Amino acid sequence: MRRRKVDHKRWITGCMATLILFLQTGCWSKDEIEDLSIYVGMALDLPYETVLERKMDQLGSDYRKRNHISFTLQIVDKQSEAKSGDTKDDPTSKPYLNISETGDSLFEMIREFATRLERPVIGHHLKVIVINEALSRRYSMNNLLSFMLRDNDIRLNCLVMMSSGTARKVMEAKGNSIIPSFRLNGMVDNRYRTLKIIPPVSLSKLESQMNAHASYLLQNVIAVNGEVKLSGAAVILGKTQKFIGRLSEEELLGTIWLTGEGKGGVVKSYDPKTKQVITYELKSMKSKIKSRVVGGKISFHVSIESDGRLIEEWMEGNETIDDEFIIRSEKATSKEVQRLIKLGLNKIQNRYKTDVVGFGSRLSIEHPKVWKQVKENWDETFSQVPITYDVKLNISETGSKQGH
Amino acid sequence: MTQKAQDRITTVQAAVIVSNFLLGSGILTLPRASAEVVGTPDVWFSVLLGGFVAIGAGILMAVLSKWHKGKTVFQYNQKLLGKWIGGTIGLAFVIYFFMTAAYQVRALSEVTQLFLLEGTPSWAIVMVFMWVSLYLMFGGINPIARLFELILPVTIVIYLLVMLMSLKLFEWDNLRPFLGQGILPVLDGVRSTALSFLGVEIILVITAFMSNPNHSVKAVVIGTSIPLVIYMLTVVIVIGGLSLDGVLTRTWPTLDLIRSYEYTGLIFERFESLLLVIWIMQIYSTFTITYFASALGLSQIFHFDIKTCLYGLLPIVFTLSTLPQNIDVLFALGDFLGKSAFFLFVPIPLLLLIITKWRKGANKDAAEKSGS
Repeated sequence: MRRRKVDHKRWITGCMATLILFLQTGCWSKDEIEDLSIYVGMALDLPYETVLERKMDQLGSDYRKRNHISFTLQIVDKQSEAKSGDTKDDPTSKPYLNISETGDSLFEMIREFATRLERPVIGHHLKVIVINEALSRRYSMNNLLSFMLRDNDIRLNCLVMMSSGTARKVMEAKGNSIIPSFRLNGMVDNRYRTLKIIPPVSLSKLESQMNAHASYLLQNVIAVNGEVKLSGAAVILGKTQKFIGRLSEEELLGTIWLTGEGKGGVVKSYDPKTKQVITYELKSMKSKIKSRVVGGKISFHVSIESDGRLIEEWMEGNETIDDEFIIRSEKATSKEVQRLIKLGLNKIQNRYKTDVVGFGSRLSIEHPKVWKQVKENWDETFSQVPITYDVKLNISETGSKQGH
Repeated sequence: MTQKAQDRITTVQAAVIVSNFLLGSGILTLPRASAEVVGTPDVWFSVLLGGFVAIGAGILMAVLSKWHKGKTVFQYNQKLLGKWIGGTIGLAFVIYFFMTAAYQVRALSEVTQLFLLEGTPSWAIVMVFMWVSLYLMFGGINPIARLFELILPVTIVIYLLVMLMSLKLFEWDNLRPFLGQGILPVLDGVRSTALSFLGVEIILVITAFMSNPNHSVKAVVIGTSIPLVIYMLTVVIVIGGLSLDGVLTRTWPTLDLIRSYEYTGLIFERFESLLLVIWIMQIYSTFTITYFASALGLSQIFHFDIKTCLYGLLPIVFTLSTLPQNIDVLFALGDFLGKSAFFLFVPIPLLLLIITKWRKGANKDAAEKSGS
């Protein structure tokens, strides 16, 4: 009898516990992924309203704003959402959707998309931000990236790039299989094949440079007819955090050799004797910046070392590839590297007066006391500092072909 | 209130409790908080020195507590300083403990709302959290210790994993030069880093529960060393990854470091939720032990039943946690708690230690006299 009572009680509590489960709310903050527009790319441009925007304005779309920036979001569009936005050609099958707004607050514009899209946008998967060069000449990085750095969805590993042309154009692709933001993100991984791609600058890297008022480089992207190329780099001046000028592809190569950050690539030069092409594929690259302070005068010496192979040579006849030729090639290649360095150094020291290579951080490590004094006006000081360099190249093999 | 016989914890459990108390909300903000004060990349050195200071203070408190076997600080300071003064100091400790509990639970709700549950109201996060903790506390110190023993290894393994995965962002140059501006900024920073070791004071309470109170010094040294290593690692990796200047403007720098990388191709690409999960467990343990200590203190000072105190504190702590209007006020509260802890847990234990020693000497003399 007693036992049954106990069982009874147990049964009731068991039932109650189960019933309570039905009262649980589950996750309150859930947003189904199907109900969101995931944006993967951003492009910031000078104010230039799209045709669609102008038509909307004519129909009365208006709110208090100053037209400072044209802002384009790239949304991955795998679903069969009814398209709205600016994709003009072949609107039915592109895997992405670009949508633009013009205004002055990036966040306001992002929220503005809620009035234009069925599914609200979400920033968890933002991969790349492309900023137009002329826009960056006007506004500092602090302002342009303020929202991205504060937002709690956007991750700090998002990359930042510049475009010498319209940034919106970079977000377009030919054909129907490419998502332009992913393409850019993937291209950055090709650093083991070329020296023309700088180490990727993520939001977190950029912020630390920004706070340090340091000058830095951002990869430049150009776009023509839905195709893109990583070409040269934009120089951001530390003090203003604004765009100050661009390094051409060759000047960029020079600074990459100075930093020693290259992962792989080629150096093409011409044989001084036969005027024929010699191509060197580098296997490793190392640079050591040494700072010297003598009587208050700062100077730097950069020792660059590289090891690689002879991968292509355009010899006239069937001359043998002997030691003498290898030495000649090494000389020609190192001379070419020196030419690139000279080009790059000249541009950053004399023209832009910005230390984008990191001489300052070497000085701060090796001579912290001196650094403290010159820190404030480092970019100015840097432009007057003598910099010497030597290049040691070693061709350690000639690939799978020997002799001829 | 007398403790039941099974309310005994081993030395290892005592060490684990100290570790779990220390590892609280601080781990996400430590790199910024300390970098702000130090201003050079030598922050890790400040953390190391701060740890030594904390271990020193911990040893002091452990020695004091082991001389009063089976009694918590709330009991023996009344015996040493008299009912009123001792009671008042005990009450100050109680207030400090539940303020800390309120601070921790608020930090939890801030981070959870920002990164995990954007739409969930803060009271819902906080209340569930507090109830689960209350449930644990009803079991007394033993279940608490056993749960903590489960939490700590999980924390260490996952934490090491997410931190080591961020090494691809790591740059030695961010940590150099070593002592570039001399030792002074480092020493200055100790003021701030020592505060991140708040939690050693729990040894004043838990020694009473130790089955072997003579090992209390060992427990506090081991218990503090584990967080010391974790903190050093955090500061080195976060500053090495984000650089000193990058850390200064991040509200939750450790979390931002984890948000700065992703691994494509693995089952997980992003690891901040893993970090947040273990962090929530750590807040849970810090909250539980501080709350328990303050309830225990109340019950021992006023001779209430501990269950009454546990229930009674619930609305107080909840209300306190909702008081800071914004996150700056919250961080200011954290600083205030740290500073008050310094005044509460360094001079007072020292004073008590001296009185104990003096009394012991007097007793010994008396015993010798009566013996002869």
